[in-house]
Amino acid sequence: MNAKTKRIAVLSALAALSALLSSCGDVEPKSTGAPPAMRRLTNDQYRNIIADVFGPQIVVAGQADPLLRTDGLLAVGARSARITPSGFEKFYGLARSISQLVVNEDNRDHLIPCQPASAKGADDACAQQFIAKVGRLLYRRPLLPGELDTAMKSAGLAAQTTGNFYRGLSVALSGMMTTPQFLFVVDETEPDPDQRGHIRLTAYAKASRLSFLLWNTTPHEALLNAAEKGLLHTTEGLSAQVDAMMASPRFEAGVRAFLDDFLRFDQFETLEKDSVIYPAFTVKVVEDAREQVLRTAVDHLVDRQRDYRDLFTTRQTFISGALARIYRVPTTKPSGNAWVPYEFAPDDPRVGLLTQVGFAALASHPGRSSPTLRGRAIREALLCQKVPDPPGNVDFSLFEAADLNNKTARERLTAHRTAPACAGCHKLTDPIGLGLENLDGVGQLRATENGAMIDASGDLDGITFNDAAGLGKAMRENPATTSCLVDRLTAYALGRSATAGQIVFLDYLKATFVKDGYRLPDLMRRIATSEALYAVSAPEEDAKPVQSAAAAVATGAALQEVSP
Amino acid sequence: MSSAIAASPQSLTLGFVVRDWFTEVYNSKFIDECPEGLATSNDEIWWRGLSKVDRARLTDNGLIQNLNRMPTAMRRGPEGENVCLNPTVVKDPPMRVVEGKYSFGANLDENVDGQPTANTCAHNNFTHPDGTTGIDNQMYRLIGCVYGWRRGGLPELNAHEGRGTSGLGMILIEVTRVTDPRNSPDVTVTFYRSVDQFALDGAGRPLPFSSYNIDTANGKQRYGDSLKGSIKDGVLTTARGDVRLPFYGNYNFLHPAIRDMGLKLEIAADGSTAKGTVSGYYDLDEFLYYVGGMVGHTSTGDNCPAMYVAGHQLADGYPDPATGQCTHLSSSFSIGAYAAFVIHPEQNAANTGTDARVDAGLKKP
Repeated sequence: MNAKTKRIAVLSALAALSALLSSCGDVEPKSTGAPPAMRRLTNDQYRNIIADVFGPQIVVAGQADPLLRTDGLLAVGARSARITPSGFEKFYGLARSISQLVVNEDNRDHLIPCQPASAKGADDACAQQFIAKVGRLLYRRPLLPGELDTAMKSAGLAAQTTGNFYRGLSVALSGMMTTPQFLFVVDETEPDPDQRGHIRLTAYAKASRLSFLLWNTTPHEALLNAAEKGLLHTTEGLSAQVDAMMASPRFEAGVRAFLDDFLRFDQFETLEKDSVIYPAFTVKVVEDAREQVLRTAVDHLVDRQRDYRDLFTTRQTFISGALARIYRVPTTKPSGNAWVPYEFAPDDPRVGLLTQVGFAALASHPGRSSPTLRGRAIREALLCQKVPDPPGNVDFSLFEAADLNNKTARERLTAHRTAPACAGCHKLTDPIGLGLENLDGVGQLRATENGAMIDASGDLDGITFNDAAGLGKAMRENPATTSCLVDRLTAYALGRSATAGQIVFLDYLKATFVKDGYRLPDLMRRIATSEALYAVSAPEEDAKPVQSAAAAVATGAALQEVSP
Repeated sequence: MSSAIAASPQSLTLGFVVRDWFTEVYNSKFIDECPEGLATSNDEIWWRGLSKVDRARLTDNGLIQNLNRMPTAMRRGPEGENVCLNPTVVKDPPMRVVEGKYSFGANLDENVDGQPTANTCAHNNFTHPDGTTGIDNQMYRLIGCVYGWRRGGLPELNAHEGRGTSGLGMILIEVTRVTDPRNSPDVTVTFYRSVDQFALDGAGRPLPFSSYNIDTANGKQRYGDSLKGSIKDGVLTTARGDVRLPFYGNYNFLHPAIRDMGLKLEIAADGSTAKGTVSGYYDLDEFLYYVGGMVGHTSTGDNCPAMYVAGHQLADGYPDPATGQCTHLSSSFSIGAYAAFVIHPEQNAANTGTDARVDAGLKKP
């Protein structure tokens, strides 16, 4: 047994023991927090904040640099994001255009809480009212005296220079929106009064963590007020806020944001297909494919409070006119943005999330399907397992083109696997992805490829199946399916992968997820009301991110399989 | 693969939306079918009738181009009447019509000699380019020498373009009682109208397998005539019967009842497209109304008064019981269609109500 496998065995044993202990009850085990960190706002969070603070009429015309996906999540990548000079220019451009819109004649009367004594010069009293009110929402806490002073000086100087009070406010607002306090969600800490020598998140930092998890936006007024009163430091106060936020229709936005990140849907922004091969795959289809998966998932998980695993076997979804053409099904709303509930017939080959256009098209090449990409997407995104990148010197052209002997993807990939360097990884991906071969590169049903009948059989971790429906069932029954969701959601909430000190917390969540009937809102509530979500340790106690024991074992097994 | 809405394994339904509708004309290379040349247009007749002084006055010394002088050119009745709206107020030289041997179309009266029957008037038959005799197509005979109506001419292309961008005059074809999409001995073919827009791909072509709602007025559909038929080797052929169809072209709305109409539709192997012909007796008054109301006669080559006279002379179907004068023109149209889902009003009502929470406003639809 080498060092790596020994470590995995130890972790596995610890995890099993921990799971056994924690499954005895619903009591959250003590876990160690990670050191405080900063997370850059995502583009969606930025937009949501602007809409919440100033209203939907203030358009955010542009977006910031993309975040780097880390450990499967952009939310984790946000923790290590840096703003480059060109990235700062983008934020500055956004801040300028937004602040100009806020103070323009159409909006100033309802966004600025006072009238200046004269619009042709500075008015400190009115400027302070606006800056203090908006600053609290943008910085997610009251402005410190120095911050307020800086913004006030900026507003006054600009108003005097330009002879325009509103230009002064605009300059001050631009400045605030380009500070780290706004662009980064900062884990601000204070001494923990209950544990001498320890630190804890401030109530405002807790409010931010909670708000971005449940609503994907800045804390609202009531939450900030609760933080101000110290209520978020009490179990009852925290629970009350969580209950209220989860009961709000805005909870859907939080769930959507997580699912979008979890399912790697940022890839839709660059998704393109060959319009000659797939004429029905329009820009509208791209937009609707993403929306369909999210709409189906939110309906299933939140509105109907159903078992997460059933997402892989459900026939119920929603359909738009553009998607109906891809699915080749009738719809009563063929045009526009209308959606109608739709249930695939019991004998329809489409079952579950994996057969939706959103998954099938995303994990495909521009002009054809790809069992390898689909298998990899399932392993990495949905089962939290790592599939190694292909070697750099593989000549894919030898296997990509169909010929008389290799008409189907299965035949081409069989030929591909004769290359020993490729065989290991393809064993991890292809037997899964081949189960979706009855869906072409954009998710349209097909029985044949290049005139040859498609064999959609395969296996997932030893469970064999004959078609996409069978793959959906295998996904539903795979323990890694639910384990992965817990891992990812926890990492999403924490903004980092769990540390060694948080493995017990993960295992507690996994045990209670089973007990709660695999219901996502229950899982989110447990995380949102947990001590672990808000736990912080001193910076020097930092630990390297580790996976939960179960995920580590799964990856280890996968890597062993790849080894010659 | 999926060219049908599966109602049950024993009975399938095929649906199509008609995108292309062109009057069938047989154009020979050297216009042999019009031995005296093309028909004289309204503009030409008007121009010939003007003195040199009037030509200069009415055309600003020739600076006003054909299309722009159309409104003036049409008002050449004795009292300044528009001769397209009042085609009998002037008497023009006879219109040049097709005298050739060949035409597309079908043998509607089931005889080859053109002799009158209970439902037809005497006429000359054509021979189909494939050699079939007894072809009835007096519509072609009437318009085949008008340059605008020849292949690629403005009235047809303009109407085609207008239908494509507006979705107006959209014909839906629904084939029910299908046992096998390629071979079904006894099917029912029903024709509807939709007012939905065409769903187009990036190149502007209709996308197959789109859904189209049947148009209704006050809860009742205005079209819906049916014909019996069969499918053999992917070719749908109907028996003949009277069918009212929607039509839109050149800013005119028609709803002609085509008598003894038959449809022949060749369905592509993948079920996504179909092409074929519609033939039958077309109401002459509807057609003359269409021509008379068309904008841009100087570009079509039409001359309404001459066409009115010729149309009545050539009409070969359904004589008026009182006068014996035939009221319809045998005709043939080529059509192109795309597979579609035909959505019935009751289907629409059922589908929008499946999620009670949507109806209750508790949830976004």
